[in-house]
Amino acid sequence: MSIEDQLRSALRREPAPPDFAASVLAGTRRIASPFWRRPVTLALAASLLLAALIPPAISEHRRRQRAEEAEAQLVTALTIAETQLERVSATIQRNTRRIP
Amino acid sequence: MKNTLILLVAAVPLFAASDFDFKQLDRLAANAKESTNITLEGPVLKMASGFIGSKKDKDSAAVKSLIDGLKGVYIRSFEFDEKGKYTEADLDPLRAYLDAQHWTKIVDVKQSKEASTVYVLTLPDSKPGGIAIISAEPREVTVVLIEGAIDINDIGKLGGRMGIPDVALLDQMKKKEKPAKDQ
Repeated sequence: MSIEDQLRSALRREPAPPDFAASVLAGTRRIASPFWRRPVTLALAASLLLAALIPPAISEHRRRQRAEEAEAQLVTALTIAETQLERVSATIQRNTRRIP
Repeated sequence: MKNTLILLVAAVPLFAASDFDFKQLDRLAANAKESTNITLEGPVLKMASGFIGSKKDKDSAAVKSLIDGLKGVYIRSFEFDEKGKYTEADLDPLRAYLDAQHWTKIVDVKQSKEASTVYVLTLPDSKPGGIAIISAEPREVTVVLIEGAIDINDIGKLGGRMGIPDVALLDQMKKKEKPAKDQ
């Protein structure tokens, strides 16, 4: 075989395998998306963010609830104190009026 | 040095939160038809004060300034369905505590079967240190103990603010309404 025939045989057109385009595209995608954009990484990051944000929010909500309860109790306590003092004052006034 | 130490030890009960064991009164709840039990001290009291302070209205600021000096607020109120469910002896430990802590009895009123006693605590620097009220009726007993920088006039000032009713004003309104209803 002459050198020309050898070259012609080596450089002849051959059809690409059927999955060639798909495998090239898949390889490209693997290279194009960095690790931090992969769905698993994103899901993990979102979980970590939620884990960092939710407990302080729950804690703040509970703290506020406790503060509201304490305020309500304080208002009740001061109302009872005021009522009692007013009753004592009224009794003193009644008793004083009886003195001729 | 020894004298200073003795003075410091003697001053502790005046500035600490209540040392009174309220369990002695709490057992009355077992026989009561209705009871109110409020204990606010330390961080919980600060939390309530902070919450009130976070509201930006004028009343809240006034109330906060009054309650900032409080060390403890204790309320025990029991209502019984019949007489004889408690005795004067049940209140003796509290009276003994107040006497031991140098609280001064300023009012002691009795009318028919109702008796009320008001005590105040005055600190060595003549500043108010607290108010205590013991009110006893045949079927009801109420104890109020407020420790801290508050006096009787301060409590009167709280009426009509922050949802605390102005009792004196309510009484006046009731008196005005009565003749109108009678007509």
